[in-house]
Amino acid sequence: MAQRETTASRSEQAPLLQVENLQTAFFTDKETIRAVDGISFDIRRGETVGIVGESGSGKSVTARSIMGLVDSPGRVLDGSSIKFDGEELTEKSEKEYRSLRGSDIAMVFQDPLTSLNPVYTVGNQIKEALRLHRDMRGAEATEEAIDLLEAVGIPDASRRVTEYPHEFSGGMRQRAVIAMALACDPELLICDEPTTALDVTIQAQILELLDDLQEERNLAIMFITHDMGVIAEVSDRVNVMYAGEIVESAPVVELFENPRHPYSQGLLNSIPGNQPDTDRLSTIEGDVPTPNEPATYCRFEPRCPKAFDECSKVHPESLAVNDDAADHTAACLLYPEDVSQAEAVELHERRGSQREVSER
Amino acid sequence: MPDVSSRPHREDVSIRQRIAENPGPALGWLAGALLLFALEAGAVVHFVTGLFGSPVELPTLLSRELIPNNGYQTPSGAWQETFLGLPAAYAWALRVVLVYAYSFVWMYWLWRGYLVFRENYRYADWTPRDDMIDRLRGHRWGQFGAIIVFAFVVMALFAPALGPTTVERTISNPYSHSIEYYNDQGQLENITVGSANLDSRSQGTPQQNVGPMQYDQFGRFHPFGTLPSGKDMFTFMASGARISLFIGLSAIIVSGLIAAAFALLTAYYKGLVDLGVVIVGDSIMSLPRLLFVILLTVVLSGTWIAEIYSGAVILALIFAGTGWPFLWRSVRGPAMQVSEQEWIDAAKSFGQKPRVTMRKHMAPYILGYLLVYASMSLGGIVIAVAGLSFLGLGINPPTPEWGRAVDIGQSYVTTASWHISFIPGVMIVLVVTAFNALGDGIRDAIDPQSETGEGEGNEAAAATGGGA
Amino acid sequence: MSRWQYFAKRLLLSIPVLLFGTSITFLVIRAGPLDPVSAILGPQGDPQAYNTIRRQLGLNQPLWQQYIDYMVNMFTFNLGQSWVLQPDTSVYSLVLGYAPRTIWLGFWSVLIAIFIGIPLGFYAGLNPNTFSDYFASFGGIVWRAMPNFWLAVILMSVLSQSEKFFFGFDWQTFLYSTNVTGPPPLPDPIWKLFTNPDQFVRALKKIAPAALVLGSASMGNEMRIGRTAVLETINSNFIETAKAKGVPPRSLVWKHIFRNALIPLVPIITGEAFILIGGSVLVETVFDISGIGFLFFQAVKNGDMPLTGSLMFIFIVLVVLINIVQDLLYTIIDPRVGYEGGA
Repeated sequence: MAQRETTASRSEQAPLLQVENLQTAFFTDKETIRAVDGISFDIRRGETVGIVGESGSGKSVTARSIMGLVDSPGRVLDGSSIKFDGEELTEKSEKEYRSLRGSDIAMVFQDPLTSLNPVYTVGNQIKEALRLHRDMRGAEATEEAIDLLEAVGIPDASRRVTEYPHEFSGGMRQRAVIAMALACDPELLICDEPTTALDVTIQAQILELLDDLQEERNLAIMFITHDMGVIAEVSDRVNVMYAGEIVESAPVVELFENPRHPYSQGLLNSIPGNQPDTDRLSTIEGDVPTPNEPATYCRFEPRCPKAFDECSKVHPESLAVNDDAADHTAACLLYPEDVSQAEAVELHERRGSQREVSER
Repeated sequence: MPDVSSRPHREDVSIRQRIAENPGPALGWLAGALLLFALEAGAVVHFVTGLFGSPVELPTLLSRELIPNNGYQTPSGAWQETFLGLPAAYAWALRVVLVYAYSFVWMYWLWRGYLVFRENYRYADWTPRDDMIDRLRGHRWGQFGAIIVFAFVVMALFAPALGPTTVERTISNPYSHSIEYYNDQGQLENITVGSANLDSRSQGTPQQNVGPMQYDQFGRFHPFGTLPSGKDMFTFMASGARISLFIGLSAIIVSGLIAAAFALLTAYYKGLVDLGVVIVGDSIMSLPRLLFVILLTVVLSGTWIAEIYSGAVILALIFAGTGWPFLWRSVRGPAMQVSEQEWIDAAKSFGQKPRVTMRKHMAPYILGYLLVYASMSLGGIVIAVAGLSFLGLGINPPTPEWGRAVDIGQSYVTTASWHISFIPGVMIVLVVTAFNALGDGIRDAIDPQSETGEGEGNEAAAATGGGA
Repeated sequence: MSRWQYFAKRLLLSIPVLLFGTSITFLVIRAGPLDPVSAILGPQGDPQAYNTIRRQLGLNQPLWQQYIDYMVNMFTFNLGQSWVLQPDTSVYSLVLGYAPRTIWLGFWSVLIAIFIGIPLGFYAGLNPNTFSDYFASFGGIVWRAMPNFWLAVILMSVLSQSEKFFFGFDWQTFLYSTNVTGPPPLPDPIWKLFTNPDQFVRALKKIAPAALVLGSASMGNEMRIGRTAVLETINSNFIETAKAKGVPPRSLVWKHIFRNALIPLVPIITGEAFILIGGSVLVETVFDISGIGFLFFQAVKNGDMPLTGSLMFIFIVLVVLINIVQDLLYTIIDPRVGYEGGA
């Protein structure tokens, strides 16, 4: 997907989705899991923001937190702010949230076969969304459903609308799911690993479809995946998540050309083909930790090739990597890179205590 | 890195050699086992010599002779001829506690033996079975089932030692035995057990009733009360446990073997073999089970097999013959899944004999499921056998069976003699629930994510005893 | 293969099953050691009468000939007559007399099981791990383990003296005056039941305790399996999709969860139905309902082989029919049937 927004025009509009200090934790008998531990990012209209990270980094929980689908024993903690189109979502009642879901914000999940209810026709499930949010029924709704299926590129839509999910092939199923998500013309589409379960060729088709739809409808897309290649193709901006935190945030080309955070560097290096001259594939040693306590240190430190003493004592905040790049931030004590290390650490410390004050 | 090549390959070292290398733990365990065995060796010697002629009596821990409870109470309140002069109830309770303690110690010791083997002598450091056993250890419901089932088995095995009296004395030949007691005039009198029974009948009225945990007028203790014929009910129930367990186990083992064999055959060969077994199995399943069993019981009641063990053997065979299709249907799923695995293809490709493939590569995987469904079906068989005895078929009187007690006590349910029908029912519910719980536990242990499917329906059908 | 092809395949399979099952019945009855003629005549058999009856029953013919006669008779519904229980009465009239009571009993058993067991199971599944869940689940497990003849005995005795146990409430005079035991008063012709509410309630009251007992084991089962089915459905991905669409909870439960949770319950419900065919024998005996299970038991006990054979055939047909109904229901309810492996 082409980079559409320049830095200047981005800062003019108010963002469609504004997430600030989102914290979601799961309180089980055994432990407390801080799945999302204070992340902040924006999404503007018509832009695609990618969220990338390994399994366990908190990407899916982020999506569900925005949708309000976090069930006990988990909940979104106080101090988190999710603003959609100016409205604060964390204060909404369940009923208000429900009218939002599907009509303003829609979500597409990973496995299309199990995402659709097997005992109802695809048409029935699309019409359900239409009835809920646009109050369309009967023949009118069927017409609209057929149109939607055609819009996502399913041939012979009028016959398909009466068929069951298991009669569709994998790629077509995902298209149908997208059609269902778009039925009520949402402004933000959250896609949680929508192509992971599909073949590579189908994957390309789906990505192209999303591209077209975005252009037609000025759709904002939040695209979650662990696949760096897909991110490169799809996003305008990328947020890299690790252990519940965003460790780097940058426009996509900038991230791929010049990744700053050691974790992002590791991710990009580990793509086979990125380093054609080496004998072995480079990997990041170790596993993603399960965050149980609030972070007073850098969570990546145990695996980081560039770690130094302060990394285990000071929590890195998201700061601009240097003076010129306001839209490229990294949560690493090495940055901002245009000041000395000691000064940088001090900046992180100061920002950290500022944040704590404002939280209280 | 240690030099692996110089060390002898562990598999080449037989288990005997491994024990020889490290005899300590094995000997310790063996010593404990021998001690436990010695306590009851007398019973084994008695049994074996009894087969060949007159049995030899040796002192054993759990015999009635060591802790007798068939004494009588003198007018002064003291007890004679019971263990340590304790009241008969306590003497009996002591023996029961001893029996169960002994059994649980044995169970624990066997478990210890397994652990010793696992730590010291087993080749592998970890097998999937370890995970299963760990899951079982945390599964409270399954453990509850296992304990009750074990208690039931102990009751069946030690029935002669557990009851306040024996089947021989009170049920089979009451007039050939006699007891002593102090009569109302304070004199020591001798009376046959049969006559004593006549006076201890539970017939519904408070005057003519010996309820649970009561002494009758002859100083005999009845933990479960007496039957309308005056016979001690606990002895009846303990002995009935034996028959129920025998029929249940035999039926399950036979039908399990048939079901497993057919499941492996149909999964391996598929096609026509599968079709054939499906038709035969479905046909047998289409006969309403209880009715067909009734028919077979009556039809075969005159044959020689029906005489063995008061009809228990023929019942076991009947249940096995009508029950295997349900078990087969249940394990057919897992067997089919295993046959799709690639190692089966691999085995076929290098010419492995079908029989060996089935035994070595497929059977271990269905064994777990077989255990689950077998356990559930056992409960159903216990209920069905009781139902048959209730109707008057099945086990020939006077051999005890739980269902018959329910039948005998039918008219007394709302009277003072409610215990006659009530207690057997409660025990059946307890035992069947325990078997079901055990099956649940095993299922969760072998496959924590098993789904609802055809299996559930069949096990549900099996567990209700075909309608009894 | 499409759903209807799957159904046709199952339909086809029931034919050899029917044939085979009937053959097994024949083998047991005729080739078994029982002698039907002695049963009819009694111990002192006059040899001539013995031979006459033998000939009448067709027993002097070679076994294979008897087999063919039997099969042909059964499948043309020429069911013969009873020889011992009620001599010279046709099986037809016997069945017509006894069967309605069993049908009435079975109908209400199934209904009670479905309308108590399944809602309880669904409730437990929707509120897992709460106290009411544990209570209901435990109750279901214990209920399932209860031998129904024992429950019948207890219920019958308790109801006969209900004043003692229920604080003066007298079951026997409640609503209509009935005895606890005895066959339900079904009017003749049978459809009068539905036009005359008085008779309906009377017959219902009479059969209620027996139906409760007979349905209780099924109830426990359906509760347990319903609970599992709901739990699994709730955790499925499509429920999350529906939530993300903004589907309100009520619609979520009734439209999405229940329909999917019902699927595994179909074989359970029909499975219970044919357990009832066999299991009614015990309940009918205790409550003295002269139903068809009881008739069968008497026939077997008295050695009335012709009656037994014909009755067994009827049962087999019923079971096969119920299986077909089950397959039909499956085909209708679950559109995936036959697609990824049905049988």
